[in-house]
Amino acid sequence: MKMIRAIVRPEAADAVTEGLEEAGFFSLTKINVFGRGKQKGITVGATHYDELSKIMIMIVVEDPSVDQVIKLIKYKAYTGNYGDGKIFITNVEKAITVRTGEKGL
Amino acid sequence: MKEIIAIIRPKKIEHTKDALDELGFPSVTAIPVLGRGNQRGIAGELGIDIRPDAVAQGRSAGMKDMKYIPKRLLSLIVCDEDVDEIVEAIIKVNQTDQIGDGKIFICPVDDAIRVRTDEQGDSAIK
Repeated sequence: MKMIRAIVRPEAADAVTEGLEEAGFFSLTKINVFGRGKQKGITVGATHYDELSKIMIMIVVEDPSVDQVIKLIKYKAYTGNYGDGKIFITNVEKAITVRTGEKGL
Repeated sequence: MKEIIAIIRPKKIEHTKDALDELGFPSVTAIPVLGRGNQRGIAGELGIDIRPDAVAQGRSAGMKDMKYIPKRLLSLIVCDEDVDEIVEAIIKVNQTDQIGDGKIFICPVDDAIRVRTDEQGDSAIK
C-alpha cells in the first residue's frame, strides 16, 4: 500500500478529485496548506509572497494503482507553469477501518 | 519507529486524546481536514438534520452527496512496539458502528529529532 500526497493548485483540486472519482478512487483527504517551491514564492509588483496557498490531496491506494493515480493527478493538475505542485509517494504498512477493525483499504 | 495517521470524527477528538493520555502517549498532531471515504460523502454524517426534501431536490438536480466531510487527522510518531496498543485504543474510542468512523494508516518513519536537545531516534519521542 502506498500513500500519495499531491500538493496542487487550489483551483485544480476539484478537477483532480473529480478525475479520481471517475477512475474509481473515491476515498481521499484534502488539506489546505501553505508552502513554497524552488521559485521561493512569487513577487507581484513590489509585494513578495513567500508562501502560497495550496491544497494537499492525500490518498492511500494499493501498489498496482499507484501509477494510474499519479498519471491522473499529473494530467488534471497540469498547467505548464511554475507552481503546479509536487507528488510524493510513501510507504504504508497497514490500514485499518475504525468501524469494523478490519485490515486493508 | 512508526507514524500512526488516524482520520476520525471531529466530535471524537476529546475522547481520543483522553484515551491516549491514559496510555501515556499525550503527544499528537491534529489537523482539521476534509475528506470522503468509500461511500463518497454522506450528508447524514454531520450530526445536523438536513430536510429530506432538500436532499431529494438536490439529488434530482443532479447534485451528488456531499463533496467532502470535515474530519480530524491525528498523527502520532511512536515506537514499533506501542503501535498495536495505540491502534486498539483509537479503535475502541472511535467505534460508533456507523459509516464514517475513519481509517488508520501506519507508515514507517526513519528517524526523529527533538529540536530542543538534538536527541535522535527513540529517545526523541519518549
